Parts: sequence; C-alpha cells; structure tokens
Amino acid sequence: MVRLITHNLLACHAKGCTSNNFPLQLKDVQLEQREAEFNPDFLRRFMPKLDWGALVDTARQLGDDSLPLEQPEMFDDDFLRKLHHVLLEVSVEEGAMVCPNCSHIYPISNGIPNMLLAENEIG
Amino acid sequence: MAPKVTATTISLDAQTHEDTHVHAVYDQIASHFSSTRYKPWPIIDTFISSLPTGSIGLDSGTGNGKYLPLPLDPVKSVMTIGMDRSRNLLLIAQNAGGKERSREVVWGDVLGGCWRRGAFDYAISIATIHHLATPERRRAAVERLLESVTPHGGRVLIYVWAIEQDVLSKRSIPGEEEAQVQETAGRDVFVPWVLSKPTAKGSPQLDGEAESPQVFNRYYHMFEAGELRGLVVQAAERMGLSVGEEVAGGEKEGVEIVQDGWERSNYFVELRRWKRVNGI
Repeated sequence: MVRLITHNLLACHAKGCTSNNFPLQLKDVQLEQREAEFNPDFLRRFMPKLDWGALVDTARQLGDDSLPLEQPEMFDDDFLRKLHHVLLEVSVEEGAMVCPNCSHIYPISNGIPNMLLAENEIG
Repeated sequence: MAPKVTATTISLDAQTHEDTHVHAVYDQIASHFSSTRYKPWPIIDTFISSLPTGSIGLDSGTGNGKYLPLPLDPVKSVMTIGMDRSRNLLLIAQNAGGKERSREVVWGDVLGGCWRRGAFDYAISIATIHHLATPERRRAAVERLLESVTPHGGRVLIYVWAIEQDVLSKRSIPGEEEAQVQETAGRDVFVPWVLSKPTAKGSPQLDGEAESPQVFNRYYHMFEAGELRGLVVQAAERMGLSVGEEVAGGEKEGVEIVQDGWERSNYFVELRRWKRVNGI
C-alpha cells in the first residue's frame, strides 16, 4: 500500500529535479481503507517529523478534511485518532504520483509505488 | 551437496550485469528464496530495539521484508518501510509478519534517492550492497543511505557478505602500498541458487520425466576486511562529512562509526550522523 505516511516521505529523484519535488501529486487513485492498530505513543513521537502541510493538502485532495491546517500544539485522543486514520488507514492501491516540478510520473499498482528511474534519468 | 561458489568478472556494463545476475534472478526465485529467509539476525533486532518509539526507518534492499516487523519484542513502536528492486519479493514483503498487506513497500533502487532528504531516523541495508557491481556503485549506495537519515543523530546499519575467514588468513596483511589498490579489494563471485521444479505433494515422479533443477547464478561482491569501512569513509568525504565522534569546537557535521565488525561471514558497520547546532 501507499499509505499517506509513506507518501509524506517520497520525493521525485529524476535527474536535475532537486527543488519543488515534494509532495508528489496523487492522480487517478483508487483508495482502500485498512484498519490499523491505534498507537498514540508512536503518533505523538512521530508527528514532529511529518511535513504537516503536505499531509493536510494531500488528505484534502483525497476528500478528507478532518485535520487542521496548522499542526495543533496539544494532541488530545480525538485528534490523534483522526491523524491515525489519515496517516495509516487510508491506502492508495492504484493510481500514480506526479512530480509538481518536472511532471515525472510514478505509477502505483497493487499498492506498490514504482520509484525506479531509467539509468539516464538518475541524477 | 551445496552448489559451488565460482569466481567471476564483470564483462557487461554494471547496470546490465546487475539486471541480469541480480534483479532478474530474485524476481524468478522470489517465492523459493523467501521460504528460506524467515529468521532475522539478532544484531539487527538489537539495533531496531534500541530505537526510540516513533522512529521511522528505511530497509534498503528489504527482500521478503523479514526485518519490517522488528522489533520482535514490541515494547517500542517503530515503523520500517521496505524498498527493493525485485517486485516479486515486494509482493511477499507486503505481508511480512503474517498480517496481510500490513507493510509499506516501495519498488526502488538502492542507487536512487526517492526520499525527502534526511526524512528517516534510521536506515538498514542488509545483504544488499554486495550485489552492486563496481566500487563506485557500492560507495554511492552508502551515500544514499547516509542521505536518507537525519543529520541530527540518524543511524545506519549495513551488512555485506565477507570473504571467508579461512580464505582471508591465507593472505598476508596488506602493506600500505598494497592497500591503496582499491580495484583489487574483495572478490566477485557467482553464488548459484538451485530452484527445483515444484511437484505436486506426494505425487510420485514419473520415470524419466524428472526435470533437472534450474540453476540461477547470483552475482555477489564478497567484501574483504576494512573494505566496508573504506566505502563509508569515501562516502562521507564526498558528502563533506568528517568521520569520527562529535567533538566540541571541532568539525560541524560528521558521521561516527559506532561499531564495525565481522559476524557469521558478514561484515557490518553501524553509523550515526551528527550535526552541531550553532557551531558549538
């Protein structure tokens, strides 16, 4: 699967594409909801490493506006459950990710993103 | 009888060599290979268990994903994302640990850098870099690992296959001049994988119809003593990182070799990146 936690880490790495290459834009996606174990400790400690803006934008593009634009300073259980859902339970099974800078397309099939480049595309 | 390891040379260009003798082989033997690779090595579990809860990591060359469910004793909660060049292995890795499609996996190359720089807290690369066909490519793979983790304490663990000890002991310890010759470090070999044709359980083989098993030659570069450490030093140099412990008033940014050793026919190295804030 490409859950949004993974999407938040992936960037375009085509030759010469070094700025504005994140986040990749999801396109023509088929989503699946997969229940995952709720782990508030993990989420609390992991949260500072997220690119919050990218996560919220991407979730909203997928029709989920449960997360606030600004990362809250206090995390209550309700918020952590929403974050858990967006980050770990929404999974892209099919579709593509497109680089906002160079438009390189990374296809997603069977929940596996294809991040391979041809030899001449590697930076 | 165990099939023999044979010496080889790289006659094709490196990418084609790896495509033919590594990537294509693993795609074909994925399922059989995976059935023999289920037990994680203890040092790797110890490493993953030492990470704080909330850590996120990359397993570069994850294979069948056997390290993705670690730590074995889940008192801490970390998440490892698997990357591999073999898609058929990734289809298996998605289910690592028994829960169907519970793992995050990415189809990618250890020489690619498809991550936000410094996004990970840790990266492991177990029995992978030895499949790269030139010293430059192996060094580049180490650079990609160092780039993937945060400069502020990011940790890296690398394992590669070693030339056997008894072979090593026949060699004299190289003098300084000899040690300079990088091209001759280590040994390029083919390690055969014997894939027996699947037969229906319990069905007797028909006379004369027993198919001979298919043999795939996997390419390995067997590392010699000091070679992995040497790659780390070269990779750090190219990235402008000093090698050694963080010293107050010293270099601004570096990588510490936390441990460096040999275990069960493999060399391993554990690294930690550091960066001083405000130059103090």
